[in-house]
Amino acid sequence: MESSDGLPTPEEGAVALAEAEASRTMLADSLVLRSWFYAAIGAAITVQIATTALGHADIGSRAGWLLPAGVVVSVLVAGIELAHFRRLNGVWLGGFAGRVVGGPATAASMSYVLSVGAAVWAGFDQAWWLVALCAAAGGVAFAWSGRWWLRTYRAEPAAHGRGKSAAWLAVLAIVAVSGLVLLVVGR
Amino acid sequence: MPELDVSIQPPARLRLMTTLTAVSEAEFATLRDTMQVSDSVLSKHVAALAAVGYVNSRKGIHAGRRTTWISLTAAGRRALSAHVAALRELIAGVE
Repeated sequence: MESSDGLPTPEEGAVALAEAEASRTMLADSLVLRSWFYAAIGAAITVQIATTALGHADIGSRAGWLLPAGVVVSVLVAGIELAHFRRLNGVWLGGFAGRVVGGPATAASMSYVLSVGAAVWAGFDQAWWLVALCAAAGGVAFAWSGRWWLRTYRAEPAAHGRGKSAAWLAVLAIVAVSGLVLLVVGR
Repeated sequence: MPELDVSIQPPARLRLMTTLTAVSEAEFATLRDTMQVSDSVLSKHVAALAAVGYVNSRKGIHAGRRTTWISLTAAGRRALSAHVAALRELIAGVE
């Protein structure tokens, strides 16, 4: 029922707003991930960091291929996980795609850069156990950062949900992989 | 007096647009289930909001079947923000 001048009463307005916010919260809370989502993303990043380190280390003529191979693996895993997320939930969540899978969240970026740096340094020194350790630490930190982002998103879905479209991320992935392959072929 | 947007004034449309702020794009059935409304009710509101340029709807495929994906437009986001601000002003007026 509306007030006589067409405006809702303050009580009606408060109820409408509360219901709208509850509906948004319900959608954000209902989003689910596959049970091995974080393990898959963490493993992909671990592989990528390890191959980057080995690609820079002096381990023979084929080392140059390791770097793009690692990138291809991580892009493939990210694409598969995003497709499953979209199919499972019936939504595209740009913030999730960009920050949980793509990793530009501050914690993920910092841990990634540190892990890659440490792993490459260990690779130059041929300390393979340290390469593995740094790569694994980077994968775990990346996955943890994603979990943290999802908690933040659920607390404030409107502030964190937006991000790049699926088409934009696909173009970005193709450009990144193509660039790396061309770089290796051109060596 | 706060100026409410007549296109968003029906509570179901406010719910629809507010729900869409949580995602970049949502599939029709996901929205219907979240809002607990019928297909026809949701279709009617989506059509009304699309007519004023507040939401965008496109045909796509979900889980192997044809479906409709709905998203907020930039104009819709601005309109919702202004409408919610006006609504809060209206509510605050009696507190």
